[in-house]
Amino acid sequence: MLQRRFVCTLDELPPGGMKLVDVGKFGVGVYNVRGALYAIVNYCSHQGAPLCQGMIGGTNESDPDEPDRLRRVRDGQIVRCPWHNWEFDVTTGQNVADPQRRVRTYQVDVAGGEVYLTA
Amino acid sequence: MIVDTNVQPHFGYNAEIRQYLPDAHKLRSIPDVEQQWYQAPGGDYRRDLYGEHYPGSDPETVSRHLFEDGGVDYAILNPLTRGNIADYLLNSRICAAVNDWLLDRWLQPDTSNRFRGTIRVNPEDPKGAVGEIERLAGHPKLLQVGVPMQSREPYGKPMFEPIWEAAAAHGLPVAVHINGGNGVDHPPTFAGHAHTYPGYAAFMPLNYFVHLATLIVEGMFARHPGLKFVFADGGYDILTPLMWRLDTFWLSMRDQTPWVDRYPSEYLPGHVRFCSSAFDGPIEAGKMRRWMDFTGKADLLMYGSSYPHWSTSPPDVMATELEGLDDSQRDNVLWRNASELYGLKESVG
Repeated sequence: MLQRRFVCTLDELPPGGMKLVDVGKFGVGVYNVRGALYAIVNYCSHQGAPLCQGMIGGTNESDPDEPDRLRRVRDGQIVRCPWHNWEFDVTTGQNVADPQRRVRTYQVDVAGGEVYLTA
Repeated sequence: MIVDTNVQPHFGYNAEIRQYLPDAHKLRSIPDVEQQWYQAPGGDYRRDLYGEHYPGSDPETVSRHLFEDGGVDYAILNPLTRGNIADYLLNSRICAAVNDWLLDRWLQPDTSNRFRGTIRVNPEDPKGAVGEIERLAGHPKLLQVGVPMQSREPYGKPMFEPIWEAAAAHGLPVAVHINGGNGVDHPPTFAGHAHTYPGYAAFMPLNYFVHLATLIVEGMFARHPGLKFVFADGGYDILTPLMWRLDTFWLSMRDQTPWVDRYPSEYLPGHVRFCSSAFDGPIEAGKMRRWMDFTGKADLLMYGSSYPHWSTSPPDVMATELEGLDDSQRDNVLWRNASELYGLKESVG
């Protein structure tokens, strides 16, 4: 049964930050991505690692015009699993390599300067 | 219909190649096609083919064995050259001489219209290789480009890209086959030199996977949708676990090679084929059908006899070896996959 619950004040979750909420079996990570809030389950769809312990950052796309043929994109919204490096976009829950290998996402909202998670 | 995708025609004798070399190279010493360190204990060729000239050197005899005795409809000739010779310009001339000889001795006189050929090129001379493809690509009987398995760099490296680009532009698959002769090569196994022939013969064909892996990982197939590779020495028995490895690493390390835009194994159907080898696959026929479906091999594999090699499998023997396959799998292997890849039609004429 989904339940809306208080996470923290918005001041405590600045852009680039993550709050791990003790909810459900594995916990849920609430992320502030450039001012917008997203939440994913703390459980990698590969082998169940605590995904939200992974580094948050960007990822690479192909760019034939660059000398290294790489372009950095989606900065601040890609979490890398600490076990096997799988990349997930926290804004969608999709694995970057294979979008069908997704992790669960949750609703987050802000009211009166406070962050709420529905999980 | 039966298509034999892997036949090695030979010069009658070693020095015959000089007739096809320009004056500037006529007096150079050139390794014998048989000059390599690992010879099969009982001879490299089918026993009954030994005679005054090299086995597989007389078009009429080869025709009789393949087309009359074997019931083959088309045979794709993929001649050996003479190794990765340090003088790469000489090597390119040798490739051109082999191509001219193939046209002169085999393809042009063949009124049965059953032989098809390969444009041999030297990957260590990318400019020369592209030139050779441009020179011969229009010939209706030359259906593919041929390069050696032996290479000092894997074929996914960017220096080779102009060659693959030229082949793809002309719709020619690139066949990789263990070469004859003796050149400047790495040891035949990942761990060095083998001692015995089985040590060599069991592992040398597996080098294909390094070429295949780098072609995928370097994005060669992603950049060239028309590029196709044929690995002519088999090795498809190890394809599945190796593709599992590549797929697994791609999920973890995709950001290092983002031009790989799908699972590495997903490039196989559109870009990769194998010629059958007598050595590959489960020994028990009962496991054959299921094994063939792993990694979709029934769509990747083409019958290739390796005639006149000692291990050559004529179609009836191959059919026995493939006994465990279902009808559709068997048709794919004996003709359908090759017919689609090379555009060969059912009726010869």
